[in-house]
Formats: sequence, structure tokens, C-alpha cells
Amino acid sequence: MTTKLSALTGRNNYFEDFSVGLVIRHARGKTMEPLENVLITNLVMNTAQGHFNEDAMKASAFKQRISYGGVNFSLIMGLASQDTCENALAELGLDNIRLMQPVFHGDTLYAYSEVLEVKDADREDAGEVTFRHYGVNQRDEQIFQGDRRVLLKRRSHWGDR
Amino acid sequence: MADDFRSKAVLWPKGHLYEDFSVGQVMNHHWGRTILESDTVLFTTLTLSFNPIYSNRAFAKAHGHPDIVVNPLFVFNTVLGLSVEDCSEIGGPFVGVGKLTYHEPVYPGDTITSRSTTVACRLSQSNPSSGIVTWHTEGLNQDGRRVIDFERSNLVRRRHPEGRSA
Repeated sequence: MTTKLSALTGRNNYFEDFSVGLVIRHARGKTMEPLENVLITNLVMNTAQGHFNEDAMKASAFKQRISYGGVNFSLIMGLASQDTCENALAELGLDNIRLMQPVFHGDTLYAYSEVLEVKDADREDAGEVTFRHYGVNQRDEQIFQGDRRVLLKRRSHWGDR
Repeated sequence: MADDFRSKAVLWPKGHLYEDFSVGQVMNHHWGRTILESDTVLFTTLTLSFNPIYSNRAFAKAHGHPDIVVNPLFVFNTVLGLSVEDCSEIGGPFVGVGKLTYHEPVYPGDTITSRSTTVACRLSQSNPSSGIVTWHTEGLNQDGRRVIDFERSNLVRRRHPEGRSA
């Protein structure tokens, strides 16, 4: 590439910038619409019609479609991505994924992240960080919590490339 | 006549209930999915998952990848999605996912299949009409290599809540 790689991503979110206990409130929220829920549920061939059959769900206790949990937490992790994973070489894994509340079309989701662990990786140009991501809705009710392990570039090796 | 087809119709049901699961059973899930560039870029942009390795081919190549990297959460959702009819379509709500590992990157054009092994079945104390089932689910690429694995638990409705046999 003619542009420096480091010019395309943030300056304040390399491995060296994260320490255990840091909690970030991410700047953007997003309103869940059929655009996200129905499109992604169908793209990944999830066949549970509670996520895409409004008529059937009118007869349920929810009275409407419920957003698919995988989309809910993908959106929360997405909202957290620029700050926590923009300089990731790779995402390594997830753990302790829990969904606390249903999400409906029209709900707005916001994300927070806490640094749980910071450690060296088996390569010197990067380190491993574990984030706990939290999701809340427009009523400030927690809807999601889950941990994501990422391999983050070290500024010392990548900051000027 | 409309009444004619309705009165003759037989429902072909979908999905499984608690009694259909037993520890050790292996389910090779239906269909498979070739992941296209449009799938992962659409998913990445809709979820605001901003890391250029998921959206900028030149950037991804400069990091040693042959192409843009498929967003790992899209891989996860696809592997889980393919397992839904066998595991959780009619049973009940999601309880949790854990112990998830991404074993290697997926690139546009790769074909993913999904299989699950039932690892635990237990009745719910608080909800006698349901049990909790846990599966170990694996996503495999076209070469048979494992690209992801995780454990998932769901509440699953019982066919015979009082324990009566059919």
C-alpha cells in the first residue's frame, strides 16, 4: 500500500494503551431494525422464525419478533470494535457470553468495555488483551455481557509502519 | 378450492425437543455455506465492526492475508445458524456461549459446514416444562480443518413434562 498502514487506524488503541481495570464507554449507539436482525438472521441461515415471522410472534408472550441474540451481541461487539479491536492482528476467542434481556426492533443498543487481562503473546510485535464487553438498551438495562480475547499490535513495532 | 388444500394438508414439522437429545450424539448439520465477500463486508459494516482487515483488501494483504479476512463473528453466526434447526429451533431461548476459539482465518470463497455433539442434558429445577442442553459445535472449512469451536447451551422444551412415556 502507498499509504502507511498506521495512518488508517487510531493512535490511542495499541496494546500499550490498555491496562487492567480500564472501562470505556463507546461513543456510538445503534438502533436495532429489521435491517440488522432479519437480514443477518437470514444471511446466516438461522431458521428460528421467532426472529422473522411477525404474524407467528403476535400470538406469543412477546407480541412481536425478537431480535436474534447472535445479532444483538455482534452489534454490541461491533460498537466496541473501533476502540478495542481496530489495531487487532486477530481475534482469538470468546467466553462467558450471556444475554440478559430480549431486544426488539426499535431498541437502541450501547456498548461498554472493561479490560480484564493484559499479557505478552508468543510474538514480540503484539500482545493479548481480554475485554469484557457490556451491552445496554435505551432504558439503561443490561442486555449482554461477554469476553473477547484479541491479539493487539504493539505501537513499538507497528506505530510507524 | 382453498378449503380442499387446507383440509388435506399435513404439517411437516421442524426442530427437536428435549427427549431427542442424548449425551454423545453427533449431528452433522444441513446445507453448509460458502461465505462471499459481500456477506462479510455487509455484516462488518452493519455491525460497525471497524478493523480494516475486514474491509480493506490491500491492508489485509499487507498483514500477510491472501484476501480480506471474514469477520470472525460472521463465521460464528453462520456456524451457529446452520445448527439451529437440529438444536434450538423450537425448544426455547439461548442460555449462553463459552469456550469459543477461532482456530484459523476464513477468507471469501471458503465453504463452512457445521456439526454439534451433545455434551450435557439436564432438567431445569425452576422450569419443569424444559431442560437445559449443551452442545459442542464445530465449524469446518472445505478442507475439513476446524476454523471455530464453542459450547452453547439452550433451554429446550420437554415433549413429556410429567415424564410420561409417549
